[in-house]
Amino acid sequence: MLGKLFKHEVKATGRTFLPMYGALLILTIFTKMALTIGAPDFFTDDIATGPVAEVILGITFTLYVIVITALCVMTFVVIIQRFYKNLFTDEGYLMFSLPVKTWELILSKLLVGLMWSVVCCLMLVISIFILSFGSFSMMEVVQDINMAYTDFNTQFGMSLNIILFELFLCMLVSAISSILLIYASISIGQLFNQHRVLASFGAYIVITIVLQIIVSIILVAVPLLANLDILFSGIDGIKAAQWFINGTTLINLALCVMFYFCTQYIMEKHLNLE
Amino acid sequence: MIILSAKNLTKSFGKKIALSNVNVEIPRGRIIGLLGPNGSGKSTFLKLATGLLVPTEGEITIDGAIPGVETKAKTSYLAERTYLNGWMRAEDIIAFFEDFYEDFNRIKAENMLKELNINPSDRLKTMSKGTKEKVQLILIMSRSAELYLLDEPIGGVDPAARDYILNTIITNYKENASVIISTHLIADIEQVLDDIVFISKGEITMTSTVDEIREKYNKSVDGLFREVFKC
Repeated sequence: MLGKLFKHEVKATGRTFLPMYGALLILTIFTKMALTIGAPDFFTDDIATGPVAEVILGITFTLYVIVITALCVMTFVVIIQRFYKNLFTDEGYLMFSLPVKTWELILSKLLVGLMWSVVCCLMLVISIFILSFGSFSMMEVVQDINMAYTDFNTQFGMSLNIILFELFLCMLVSAISSILLIYASISIGQLFNQHRVLASFGAYIVITIVLQIIVSIILVAVPLLANLDILFSGIDGIKAAQWFINGTTLINLALCVMFYFCTQYIMEKHLNLE
Repeated sequence: MIILSAKNLTKSFGKKIALSNVNVEIPRGRIIGLLGPNGSGKSTFLKLATGLLVPTEGEITIDGAIPGVETKAKTSYLAERTYLNGWMRAEDIIAFFEDFYEDFNRIKAENMLKELNINPSDRLKTMSKGTKEKVQLILIMSRSAELYLLDEPIGGVDPAARDYILNTIITNYKENASVIISTHLIADIEQVLDDIVFISKGEITMTSTVDEIREKYNKSVDGLFREVFKC
């Protein structure tokens, strides 16, 4: 059933995203054309273009920035809106009478939200790649990357891949935990009989503030209680960075579990559709 | 054989008690009218049976099981409100039901749409409220479920369509299935009911067969309802 939920979720959200990705691609190509014709040396020299080309470039760039902003905002909005509208408004009557488990409902929404976030990033990378195409040589880029790997290896005695992977993991887990925080906040809002959207916002703000306070306390308390100089004296900078990255990942992972079970508990025990 | 059973079923929302200590057993193969004034707990009862709500106290079981994936697969619930996505076409929502309910019969649904002159490729947001309700009822009745829970199924549709819908309800369910219809439009559905459950202020005040009412009180169900719930 998870697969079917996933499929229908993609269908329901794709109709918002695909046109936007289409618009971004078309606009990217248009901007690229305008650049190539109007300011061929844009990436290398100081811009010296005519007034007409400047206006056209100005307009296309503004449009480009607007579409990119819209895309990022939309991704965020759709993640929230699908969870709230599809599960906690009238549509919830349908979703909660389906023969599926609560965790399947949550997970299908989470996975699709995550998928669109990743696709959104990929589209931005592709778009920027197209825009800057021709202003650099692929050969040089590959050489630079290889250089970075060997430099890193000689300096720190470990592969750059390890750090990159840990960074990626950290970002992924923190993305999941921020989505689950939204889900938990929306669910907490449902516990109220009135002003549920407002209550959801309130829950989000309160949870965020509480977490901030806890983090601040830890950051102040740990150096006071433990002598970090001794702990880190034998450790180089890169090890410390690893500690930091992986620590963040672990804390976020714990938060994910907490937010997830909070959401599931409310949906199973205290569901109260309007 | 009992399809639905409630024992000491209580549901409260904060301080407000919506259902209080309800005990009822619904056998298979019957059409039951769940009748009561507005706010008497009809919808709450059906939501508890569907698993949209969790009891505060007591329990409700469908075919012996507490509401969950297993019971949702064999109960067909018509919500009091239209829950269909506006952007979907009737055919999209048919595909949706076909995916999630094994007992869904696509041909039956398509035939009923045709008979009520509803175009499957129309988007739901272009349909009138009554038409949306018809689509929803068609979907619900195109399943061969074991228990149908219909919350106000004929509230928003015209009298001609009401007859068609009632006919659909009584001809479409399996012999060992039961249908619970909650409504206050009693006169319209009286002729299809086998049993009635009167509910008032969250408590069940009377359960009886329709024949018994006619014999004992020499009244129609509608007449008795007006008398019992006189304001």
